[in-house]
Amino acid sequence: MSVLAYSENHDLAEEIFTGALEIASQLGGEALSVHLDDVESIRINGKLVLLTSDRLVSGNPDLTITAFSKFALERKPSVILIGATRLGRQIASQMAVRIKAGALSEVRSLKVEDGKLVGIRTVYAGKFSAKVAAPVPCIATIPAGAYEKKTGTPTSVETISMDRMSEKTLHIETKPKTKESTDIKAASIIISAGRGFKKKEDLDMLEQLAKTLGGAVGCSRPLSSDLGWLGEEHHIGLTGAYVHPNLYVAVGISGQLQHIAGIKDTKIIVAINKDKLAPIFQVADYGIVGDLYEVIPALLKHLA
Amino acid sequence: MKVIVCVKHAIDESELTADVNGKPILQNAQTKMSVFDRNAVEEAIRIKETKEASIVVISLGGDDAKKTVKEALAMGADRGLVIQCDPTELDTLATSYYLARAGQREGADLILCSEGSSDTYSGQVGPMIAEWMGIPFIGYARRIEVKENDVKCEQVYEDRLEVSEAKFPVLISVVSEINEPRYTTLLQIMQASKKPIENIPFQNLKGSDAPQTQVNVIDVNLQTMNRRRIMFEGEPDEAARKLIEALKKEQVINA
Repeated sequence: MSVLAYSENHDLAEEIFTGALEIASQLGGEALSVHLDDVESIRINGKLVLLTSDRLVSGNPDLTITAFSKFALERKPSVILIGATRLGRQIASQMAVRIKAGALSEVRSLKVEDGKLVGIRTVYAGKFSAKVAAPVPCIATIPAGAYEKKTGTPTSVETISMDRMSEKTLHIETKPKTKESTDIKAASIIISAGRGFKKKEDLDMLEQLAKTLGGAVGCSRPLSSDLGWLGEEHHIGLTGAYVHPNLYVAVGISGQLQHIAGIKDTKIIVAINKDKLAPIFQVADYGIVGDLYEVIPALLKHLA
Repeated sequence: MKVIVCVKHAIDESELTADVNGKPILQNAQTKMSVFDRNAVEEAIRIKETKEASIVVISLGGDDAKKTVKEALAMGADRGLVIQCDPTELDTLATSYYLARAGQREGADLILCSEGSSDTYSGQVGPMIAEWMGIPFIGYARRIEVKENDVKCEQVYEDRLEVSEAKFPVLISVVSEINEPRYTTLLQIMQASKKPIENIPFQNLKGSDAPQTQVNVIDVNLQTMNRRRIMFEGEPDEAARKLIEALKKEQVINA
């Protein structure tokens, strides 16, 4: 009756371990935090399992999956929680087929009810929420922010060697994404740009506003994916980052459902748009109907 | 070479409305090809433009799923296949099983799908198909280099890029930044109606290893966002001043 928790992202690994402990106590079993790399920096109050290998696993999606599923198949857990990162979704899906188990996706507020794992997720680009269930044993991916981490010192560390692993894809290299690193998920203020900006250089004033307020810069999908004005790490929305800052300022963003899905848990949403009918105003606490090229300088003036 | 593209006939989430009880009105709801799947179709067509290739589009659903397949055919795919079933009865594990069996029946060098669907966005079906078929999976590709017997891809993860290679047959999921999907002309749409679409009842693909649906949706409710919608119109300077005042009162910016 064990519950395994895994994420290659250490913060998320610590968060989902809280969920693993809750479910384990409901099932009457133990929770294990599984890692494939350095465990020195993991601060969880519970049992750690370290999978070691004669091969370099870090950065190799296929080997990560192979090592984790090999361990999970041997341990036969009741529930496997996996951080809902891109790699995490991949692992959860491939594991599900290997152990013929259901895979809940992006679920929060997990509970065990009548032998089923039940959770809540958003669907239809965040417009609706769904209650979903799968019989145990099963797998679930957990988004960031679903659980609060309870940090502590590991009570035990079990090391298991995973040698002679083979993979179907050949990992060539890991490359850094961009030189700048924006931790948008941790920012308490985010100033975000959308299609309302006419050219890349104009983002300078948005950056200045972010700097003045001590915030990070975000954007909607067209700016990072289509125009490439900002790196993908700035992209907020369904296919980008989910954020929950105290203040989110959407500048020149029309407010497509996919974008709004990423900002739902924000405390205060501000929208600046010249189109009075832009859907972003429907989900904003405060809105300014006006030309961003006039409004941003005005904001900077009053903040100076 | 032969390329399969898996496309989802999805609920158009932007048109989806709720009834008085906050439940989605799914009957007669607008449907469309899942937005990100257009990038997978586009990538297949671009491969066909540089190499000799035939493209088969596979979808799953009732009669109306044909609409999505036709859209892909208009974009440039050669042939369509609809696995006939009630998709609401299948979870990702079962959906991927039938797509995988259809894929095996077809046989292909390359199978493309998107990173996730625009309506439910689980991101599970692609990697699951690869696993059912026992073939390599390369996820979140933003660049695909097709070689003689293998592919080389650049994959986008949250904080890094990974470069991987795999031999045919391989399943690749693409991210939307990989390309800009083409629009179809009326002529292409008319020509597409002459392209063959085959229907297969899902039972015909069912083997002894077919999984039962595990994940069930118990309840769906409208998510409400209670925002105050306080608007400042008029002079930008005055609006900016009022906004800053309000944000200070909210204690979300420093005074």
